[in-house]
Amino acid sequence: MTVEIVLSSIGCVLLCYTLGRYNRALTLQRWQFVLNAPERQAIESLRRRMAVDSALVRQALEAAGRARGASRAPDALTVLRVALDVLEDAGADRLTRLRAMGVYSRMVRAIQPLPPPSGAPFRGARLRVAATAAGCVHRFLVGTQERFRLWLLVLGLGVRIVLRGGRRSADAADRAPDRAKPWEDFARGVDDFEALDGCHLTAFEALVASLSAVDRGGRLRLWERIVGDAS
Amino acid sequence: MSELQLAVAHAVKLALVVLLAGLLRRGKARLCWSFLAYALAILVGNSMVSLWPDRFYNPPFWVLKQGVYDALKMAIAVELAWRAFAAFPGAMRAARRVLLALLAISTLALASLTPPSSYLTLWEWQPGIATAAVWLLTATALLVVWYQVPLHPWPRAIMLGLAPYLLVFVAALDLLRRHGWAAFREGAGLLDSLAYLSLVVFWAWAAWRRDPVPAAPAQGSPA
Repeated sequence: MTVEIVLSSIGCVLLCYTLGRYNRALTLQRWQFVLNAPERQAIESLRRRMAVDSALVRQALEAAGRARGASRAPDALTVLRVALDVLEDAGADRLTRLRAMGVYSRMVRAIQPLPPPSGAPFRGARLRVAATAAGCVHRFLVGTQERFRLWLLVLGLGVRIVLRGGRRSADAADRAPDRAKPWEDFARGVDDFEALDGCHLTAFEALVASLSAVDRGGRLRLWERIVGDAS
Repeated sequence: MSELQLAVAHAVKLALVVLLAGLLRRGKARLCWSFLAYALAILVGNSMVSLWPDRFYNPPFWVLKQGVYDALKMAIAVELAWRAFAAFPGAMRAARRVLLALLAISTLALASLTPPSSYLTLWEWQPGIATAAVWLLTATALLVVWYQVPLHPWPRAIMLGLAPYLLVFVAALDLLRRHGWAAFREGAGLLDSLAYLSLVVFWAWAAWRRDPVPAAPAQGSPA
C-alpha cells in the first residue's frame, strides 16, 4: 500500500465523518443565538437559577442537620439524599452549559479576558489542587480563547469533583449516620459548588460581553451573509 | 476504447448535462464557479475523447486534459474554503494558514519526490495531486466543523462526492502500478469511469434537490 493511499484514506474518512455529521440547521440556530444574545436577561436568568439551586441545597442540608440533631437519622439521610439530587440536577445543568459555552467560544473572535483560576475560593483539597494547577497553566497560555477554554475545563472538572465528593459523603453518612465527617464534607462540597457557580457566572458574563461587542449592524450583515446563499 | 468504456463515457456525458442543467436551474452555479468550469471542462474532454477517439484518445491529450482537471480540482477546493470562511475573519485567517501550508507541502513533495509528468508513469505523479486535493477538502471540512461555520448543502455535496472518488482514483492508479500497464489498463480505466459515473449521478441529484430554507428565529440557546 502506498503512502498516497494511506493519506487519501485518512483524509477521506475524516472528511466523510465530519461533513456526514455536520448539521447545518443546528449551526444556523447557534449563530442566530450568538448574533442575538439576550445578554443581561440571560445572565439574570442564570443568576436566579443558581440562587434557587443553592437555596434548595442549603435548605435540604439544614433540614437534614436538624433531623440529625434530633436523633432522627433515617429522616436526616433521606433529606441528605434530596440535597444530593438537587446538586446532581444542578451539576448536569452546569456541565451542559459549559459544553455549549465551549462551542460558542470558538464562534466569537474575541473573548473578554478572565483572571487566572485560583484555588483560594475552594475548601475541598482536590478542587484547590486542580484550580491552582490550572492557574499555573493559565500563565503559559497566550490566547484569550485558550484561557477561556481552560476556565471551562476547570469548571467542568470542579463540578464533577464536587458531585463525586457529594455522592461519597452521602454513602458514608448512610453507613455511619452518627459520624460528623461525612456531613461536614457534604457541607464543604455545597460551599465549593457555590464558589464554582460564582466562577461559572463570571465565565458566562465574559462570553455574553464578547458576543455583545459585535455591533448590531455587523451582526445583521453577518447573519444576512450566513443565510443569504441558502434561499 | 472498449464498447463498455464508450457506453460509460456516454452515460457520464448525459449525467453531466443533467448536472449542469440542475446547477443553472436551481441557481447553485454561483456557489462555486470553479465547479461549473470543472464540469464544463469534463464535458468537453469527455465529448472529444468519446466522439472522436481516433484524434483525442491518445496519451498527450490525456496528460493535457488531466492537467486541466487537476488545476480545476485545486481551484474548487480553494474556492470552497474561501466562500465558506469569507464572512468569518478569524476562521479565514486560520484557513488561509492551513491551506497555504498544505499547498506548499504538496508542491514541494510533488516537485522533489515525483518524476516529470508522463502518461507512462502517471501512477507516480497523479496520486500525489489527488491526495493533495483530498487534504485541501478535508482541511476545509475540519475547519468548518471546528468554527461551526454554516455550509450550504451544495458545497457539502461537492466535497462529500469528490473526496471518495479521488480515493478510488488513487486506488485504481495503485492497481495499475502493481499489475502493470498492459494487464490492468482496461480494468483500472473502467473502475475509474464507473466511480466517476456514480459521482456525477450523486452531484446531479444534489444539484436538482431543493435545499431547506433556514428556519425562523428561535428563542433560547441551542446546546
